[in-house]
Amino acid sequence: MPAKAFLPQRHGVHRDNGNLFSMCILCLCGKLFWQLRAWLAAMSRKTETMRFLIYRYNPDEGKPPRMQEYRLDGFDSGDKLLDALLRIKAELDPTLSFRRSCGEGVCGADSLNINGRNGLACITPLNELGETVEIRPLPGRPVIRDLVVDMEQFYHQYRAVKPWLTVHDPEPETEYLQTPEQRDQLDGLYECILCGCCSTACPSFWWNPDKFRGPAALLQAWRFLADSRDQATGDRLAELEGPYHLFRCHSIMNCVDVCPKGLNPTQAIGNIKKLMLKHHV
Amino acid sequence: MSWRGANGLRPWLMQRLSAVYIAGFLLFILFNLAAAPVISFDAWRGWVASPLVNAAIALFVLALLIHAWVGTRDVLMDYVKPVALRFVLLTLFALIFLISLFWSLRVLFSVPPS
Repeated sequence: MPAKAFLPQRHGVHRDNGNLFSMCILCLCGKLFWQLRAWLAAMSRKTETMRFLIYRYNPDEGKPPRMQEYRLDGFDSGDKLLDALLRIKAELDPTLSFRRSCGEGVCGADSLNINGRNGLACITPLNELGETVEIRPLPGRPVIRDLVVDMEQFYHQYRAVKPWLTVHDPEPETEYLQTPEQRDQLDGLYECILCGCCSTACPSFWWNPDKFRGPAALLQAWRFLADSRDQATGDRLAELEGPYHLFRCHSIMNCVDVCPKGLNPTQAIGNIKKLMLKHHV
Repeated sequence: MSWRGANGLRPWLMQRLSAVYIAGFLLFILFNLAAAPVISFDAWRGWVASPLVNAAIALFVLALLIHAWVGTRDVLMDYVKPVALRFVLLTLFALIFLISLFWSLRVLFSVPPS
């Protein structure tokens, strides 16, 4: 006799009653959990004042850039730097300009230089920043106003690596197929949100933003070189040859240090160099 | 490998290869001096005069200067923007490195095999 027959039979009515009961318990637990959370949050609310030194520049005023100080208190323990910026704009100074969109580290709009280090304001916890927070626009980019910078050169370098799939064969009737192993090659590459933290932290990009592609664009160059479906390997490598486009990278690794998504452009650049070597010898 | 115009990959490769040789040579020297410390000028001269050591040192000087040249070229390309100034500095360093090479080789070859 199969072992299955020994299992207790469950009938419809019985099961429904059980679910109803457990749902009530779960509901009560949930309510209790949220109440506890709220109490804990209230208890851990920061009472001390935080000092924000923020870079201000308005080209219409014709005055040089300056650092402006704002003081705020009453933050929740879970508050992020973006919450502080939004409160400063709402409560203290509506003229303060900065970019933001999704507010959860997905869109890459609110990349800033926070205490000398590039990062996303929306996923930087306030309680990790200390009492004084110095906020500046991304280094090396022309400032449009306050914390808003012109990222055109960054996007130009991104476009220059042709970040799209190039296939010379006739298109297949159905999808382009990949094995799970081939797909694994794209992990750590496709997650880039183009926030620009890495490229604007890279000294090589500071000195040659017009010629050096920069870590973000080179990570994407490798993303398509590593893609089993892409057929433009030769063209991509030829485009990156020369002293500037790829080889200005001296493995300084600021890019790896600041990437809010934990990606590794230096490794991607190393992979491009290795592939280039393989293609040339 | 296409050498003409390949001025991105080639210097990078030369820098890597020379680094490997320099590291290997330094280990070789340290190991040798630790195993048999050279205490007199004549012993030192004799050691350098042996063909293997002489050639290894010559290659080391070459590797070091290639490595220095690629590094200097990188620094000047990054930091010196005016083309004329960059050209003058590159030429100056190229001359210094070339003279160093010939001078080192002359010294090395002047040691008679004992």
